[in-house]
Amino acid sequence: MTKGIIITLPRYDDVTEYISQFSKYIIDEAKNRGILIKELKDKEVTKVHLDKILNGIRYKMVIFNGHGSESCIFGHKGEKIMECNSNEKLLSGRIIYARSCDAASKLGKSIIEHDKTGSFIGYELPFVFYHNPQWEANPLKDNVARIFLEPSNAIPISIIKGNEAGYAHHNGRKLFLKNMRKSLLTKSVEALSFAEALWTNYIGQVIYGNEAATL
Amino acid sequence: MNKTSTAQNEEINEILKELVITRIEATMPSNLKLSIGTQSGLSKQQVIEHVKKGDDIGRQVIQMHIRFLKAQATGEFVRALNSVEDD
Repeated sequence: MTKGIIITLPRYDDVTEYISQFSKYIIDEAKNRGILIKELKDKEVTKVHLDKILNGIRYKMVIFNGHGSESCIFGHKGEKIMECNSNEKLLSGRIIYARSCDAASKLGKSIIEHDKTGSFIGYELPFVFYHNPQWEANPLKDNVARIFLEPSNAIPISIIKGNEAGYAHHNGRKLFLKNMRKSLLTKSVEALSFAEALWTNYIGQVIYGNEAATL
Repeated sequence: MNKTSTAQNEEINEILKELVITRIEATMPSNLKLSIGTQSGLSKQQVIEHVKKGDDIGRQVIQMHIRFLKAQATGEFVRALNSVEDD
């Protein structure tokens, strides 16, 4: 397996637009460190294309941005691109981070059952975030969305920096807690709503497989 | 399940919905949108409508509130917050 990253970046609604745009920080970190990165953008995020890339490029890490369900991760316009009992074996032995609702609960476990040398970090509950519609045309300026998306970005960034998957997972969860604390200390009306959503992401984030895996 | 317990469950569900709607009305800012599950960018009013209907999204919102309330009640939330230092 080669030291490199494959990342999906679909953009067809608010959620995919935000999580794909915030992935800029992950991509920048990889590029700054000279790590090879293959970006699948917009219409390229299809099952056919992803299968081809996973078969042809043996990069160690795969990052999914997109909607999810217990057994699937979706790509462009809701196409199933990764599914239990379909193409999941293509992820065997890799480090996977899936910023997708619920996908850890069945898909994540199933991937790791094939090969326990890899690791899967993801969410077994819905991934929740608030955003300010004022910044929909420029998500990176949205400091509300940042509260939720920075802790999740921190997971792949930590792995890119050379840390083990287990450390990256625990550090990401800690950042959700830190943002909860910061939010509550502002004593603003929305603080409780933010804490509630961050709490869902905090308890929903899990790791399966090899916590010592590194890029 | 007999008719009485079905009616009682329905009453509890309605009380639960009312509680969650009260919390949303009190704490969710009208100028922000919530993304949860496969549902993209919901306004405060849309979130409330989903909870009232009790559809998939509404149930996910209710579960989010219940999980948070449970964590507060058991002390898990405070313990978790105290486990991290401020920067």
